[in-house]
Amino acid sequence: MTRISHLLREIARNLYRNPGTAFSSFLSLTLLFLLFDLFWVAAGTSDVFYRDLLSDIRMEVFLNEEVTDSLVPDMEFRVAQVQGVQAIERVTKEQAREELSRLVGTDLLAGYDTTNPLPRSFILSFAPEYLNSSVMESIEEEVAGLEGVSEVYYGHRWLRKAESARAIILRTGMVLGALILLTALVSSANNIRWMTRARAAGFQQMRLLGAGKLFVAFPFLVEGFLMGGISAAVGWALIYFGRQKIAFSQFEIIVPTTNEIVIFCCATALLGVISGYFGVRKLLK
Amino acid sequence: MSSKLVIELDNVYMTSDRGDEVFRDLNLKLEAGRTAVITGPAGSGKSSLAELLVGERFADDGSVAIFGEIIKPGRKRLIKKIRKKIGGIGGIFSLIPSFTVAENITFPLVLTAESKSVRRDRLLKMLTEFSLLKQASEFPHRLTRVENSLVQFARASIANQPLIIIDEPSAGLDRKTYQRIFEYLVKLSLSGRSMVILSSETPPGEIPNTDSYRLEQGTLV
Repeated sequence: MTRISHLLREIARNLYRNPGTAFSSFLSLTLLFLLFDLFWVAAGTSDVFYRDLLSDIRMEVFLNEEVTDSLVPDMEFRVAQVQGVQAIERVTKEQAREELSRLVGTDLLAGYDTTNPLPRSFILSFAPEYLNSSVMESIEEEVAGLEGVSEVYYGHRWLRKAESARAIILRTGMVLGALILLTALVSSANNIRWMTRARAAGFQQMRLLGAGKLFVAFPFLVEGFLMGGISAAVGWALIYFGRQKIAFSQFEIIVPTTNEIVIFCCATALLGVISGYFGVRKLLK
Repeated sequence: MSSKLVIELDNVYMTSDRGDEVFRDLNLKLEAGRTAVITGPAGSGKSSLAELLVGERFADDGSVAIFGEIIKPGRKRLIKKIRKKIGGIGGIFSLIPSFTVAENITFPLVLTAESKSVRRDRLLKMLTEFSLLKQASEFPHRLTRVENSLVQFARASIANQPLIIIDEPSAGLDRKTYQRIFEYLVKLSLSGRSMVILSSETPPGEIPNTDSYRLEQGTLV
């Protein structure tokens, strides 16, 4: 208890003896973590946005003219058996004509009632886990190989571009996130090093009187823990506050779950301990 | 009185960081309850001897045993344990700048995890004994050199440390205060504490149970 109360006093002493350093450390960490949080929110939001876009992807399978109407249900069954196909919508020649009229605003086939040249087709939708270009290509290949299929169409170029854009965003986010965390680590360690340097003579005396390394370093490790954890929590509090204040209706902003935020704050607290260790490491050699 | 050895230096050879010879065939045996007064001019190695005794520096050859335990590099836990039994004054020992006088004095008791009531009682005793009651909440930078020395004496005695190392006991003290400190040293010696007094001048009087040495050219004579 004696040692604990001494250590608590030491932590408080670190803060009130160096309020400028402590405050600037807290502010810079909060800002860095806020930046990290914003990236996290942006990544989560764009991911959901991307998945929403993907869920709209459909594959259209056109049938040969030789396929008789009586064979269409059998074909529909065979297409439905292809792995990944979640739902099939059958489009008759008449429905295709109606759709064309809707798209161009006039019935281009007026007067050709007996010879509708538009093909029959199936419109396929897929389970979310199949909505990526490589799987879609293999599905396309499999469906195109079915007897009676004349052509398969889906926005494969768009899908590839979307995937590529997402990968770039993800990689950039990861690099920036890593840089931000590294900066937080270095900045916090540096601040703690300044604090320890200012009190180096005192630490030397403590060691001469029999204080162990951990005893001397512990307040700084706890300080790093508190700085890391609290500044991360404040960063999230600012995001929640901002989210409540700013009305945004274009798309839903995705914020991590409470559990994820708690884990993140614990991780940043651990990062604070590591930076505290780096801050006092030289002193304890 | 016990004849147990508190300090045993056996043919210690030590060089400085620059490679200069500091000690050569240094031998010292200090029994429990006795005092070694070691005099020598400035630069004779008195402070290096203090560093050697607290495991701050190590012998290149020979052995250093404190409380029967050999001090050598790597025995950090042992050194830590030994340091808690040593009270240090002057030289390499100074006050912790960020602690108040009261916190400085009671720090050895914090390390041995004494209760709050024990710390309070002993602190009061020390503050009274060294006339430091008014300075209890001051920080070291606001103390005079005399007060600073007195606080170090109080810190070195509060935990009944069995060995006290004093490097230049007269440094910073006026004659009257030094006389008072000297009387306190006599009292400590009579109470059975072992002491190593490193000084460039001989003490103003006789300390009981004392062995006197002179540090010359890296060895004790």
